[in-house]
Amino acid sequence: MIQIENLSIDLGEFRLRDIGLSIHDGEYMVVLGPTGAGKTVLVECIVGIYRPKTGRVIVDGHDVTDLYPEERHVGYVPQDYALFPNMTVARNVAYGLEARKAPRADVEKRVREMMDLLGIAHLDCRLPLNLSGGEKQRVALGRALITQPRILLLDEPLAALDENLRSGLAAELRRVHRTLHGTFLHVCHSFEETADVADRVAIMKEGRLAQVGTIEEVLARPADLFVAEFSRARNFLHGTAERIGNGCRVRLNGGPILLSDYGAFDGPVTVAIRPEDIALDGPAQAGGATSWPATVTAIRPKPTHTEIELDAGFPLVAHDRSAPGGPSLSVGDPIAVHVRAQAVKVFPRAS
Amino acid sequence: MASSRSQARLVVALAYLVTVMLLMGSCWLFVSNAGQLWPKGELHITKEMEGWRTDEGRVREFAGGFWHEPAFWRSVNLTVVTATITTFIAALVGIPASYALSRHRVPGQAVIDVLFSSVIVLPSASVGLCLLIVFQYGPIFELEKRLGVYVPYTLPSIVVVQLVLSLAMGMSVWRATFAGVNPRFEHVARSLGSSSWRAFRTVTLPSAKTGIIAGLILAWTRAAAEFGGVLMFSGTFAEKPLETFSPLARGLQLHKADPLAVNMWVQIEYGNVEYGFAIGFVLVTVSALSVYAIHKLGGKGYVW
Repeated sequence: MIQIENLSIDLGEFRLRDIGLSIHDGEYMVVLGPTGAGKTVLVECIVGIYRPKTGRVIVDGHDVTDLYPEERHVGYVPQDYALFPNMTVARNVAYGLEARKAPRADVEKRVREMMDLLGIAHLDCRLPLNLSGGEKQRVALGRALITQPRILLLDEPLAALDENLRSGLAAELRRVHRTLHGTFLHVCHSFEETADVADRVAIMKEGRLAQVGTIEEVLARPADLFVAEFSRARNFLHGTAERIGNGCRVRLNGGPILLSDYGAFDGPVTVAIRPEDIALDGPAQAGGATSWPATVTAIRPKPTHTEIELDAGFPLVAHDRSAPGGPSLSVGDPIAVHVRAQAVKVFPRAS
Repeated sequence: MASSRSQARLVVALAYLVTVMLLMGSCWLFVSNAGQLWPKGELHITKEMEGWRTDEGRVREFAGGFWHEPAFWRSVNLTVVTATITTFIAALVGIPASYALSRHRVPGQAVIDVLFSSVIVLPSASVGLCLLIVFQYGPIFELEKRLGVYVPYTLPSIVVVQLVLSLAMGMSVWRATFAGVNPRFEHVARSLGSSSWRAFRTVTLPSAKTGIIAGLILAWTRAAAEFGGVLMFSGTFAEKPLETFSPLARGLQLHKADPLAVNMWVQIEYGNVEYGFAIGFVLVTVSALSVYAIHKLGGKGYVW
């Protein structure tokens, strides 16, 4: 179990403020945030490259804040993998065992097992210079995992790979995580990648934690507008809220009225609606749904859905997940859109 | 696009021109030697050619090729020994310092950068002059007096002046080399349980090997070729009788402060032009070989 308590650090343009995060044993945690949010600095504080200004890093109950990296026993796969260029793949993987003076026969056996697990046994005599991105990633993973660290830190492990490899290697990471029952902390900037691997996600913004929770929690109840935006809620509308019981009624600036049970708010607000929460056509759903007439302005087929741009007096983006050949729409068609009250996320806005 | 290509052509043409000029110069040195491989005739005896008490102005028969002259071999000895000692000290000081400077920002970094870079481009005679002033006046001179040692115009002074110049040369290469080695190599190595020293030794140092060797070669060549600085700071010969040198120094013929570059100038000054040319040819050959070695390093990562 890794606990990070009130961690703050200043590094020129990068700063972390009061980070508090705990990662349970066997958990796959993803730290998600845009470039410059301080994700890499957080990882480097856990590795021990930087000493935080305040706060503590606790690994399995031991305070390691003042320990050198070599005394912390955390695995580290940096962004560019940093494979040792002067050693073969096998020597790279063996490095951690040799650094810890493991017996020679033991080293050979464990290196063999690790390379078999990751499917890189055939690369043992190659130099890192000649490996592909996916191969490099596996070697870096093997090198970090061979010492059985208490936690594995992965800094943007999939960023350097091309699109096709990415989902395959994300599944591979999950498999390794399951096989070894490890505790993983994975840093990335893509919500889709996060959704592929994470048990829980910590979303960072400008050196602070914006929200920590499961993917479902983040999708259902984003903590603020930034989280909503980062988790791909595409529709943001300004309006004025009026409290009704536990929910509210929002009069949008264009005139139409939206119902929401997200929270009781009064005053100026921004409303976020996910594209897949906008139902197209069909009968208006019961349970406080809001409906508008709209016109289709653009249709963009994507691999998993069809993206439909609408004009309802204001622009909207909806996702149609019905199979191709289902209800076919064309640009200019009039259509009714429905939004359930649960799908309308409301965030107070400074006027 | 076209203009940048024609600019590139101009640069290449200039590079060829300079190469041809250098080739002609060194060929001429060689040809003039080939004609005079055994230059018979008069040789003006200089103080540097025999014991320090020899009368100047005496003329004797030139025995044969320059390699028959004991003074030549003494000069070679002196050059090789001082340049090697210098390179050793430069590596000892310069490699760790370069590593530290490439990994950490230190106070006064700009001053260090400017000083070291200017030592490379300054006329080395002015570097020698600076050293002379430092060692002749002020606190360092007081220290010398108290310790009873006096550095300028002695054998160690050759190493001192060479050290300043070859340290600047070597460190410019080593700093660039270490700056080019990903610091994450060490971070990962340490996260795997290596101490910072072991991480440096097993990962950073091997990754920087090529650059370190190139820096060593450049530092050695710079030291061996040093002329102006030595002339200023060490003079052309030691102002001490032969007997005051240790048997080892005498055995190595180190009692004269005339490394090859200085010897070359002295010989030409005394009118032994062919002899001076011959030394010049040796110096050109050594420099060309060392630069060629660095080229091979760049291509394949090893020298031989």
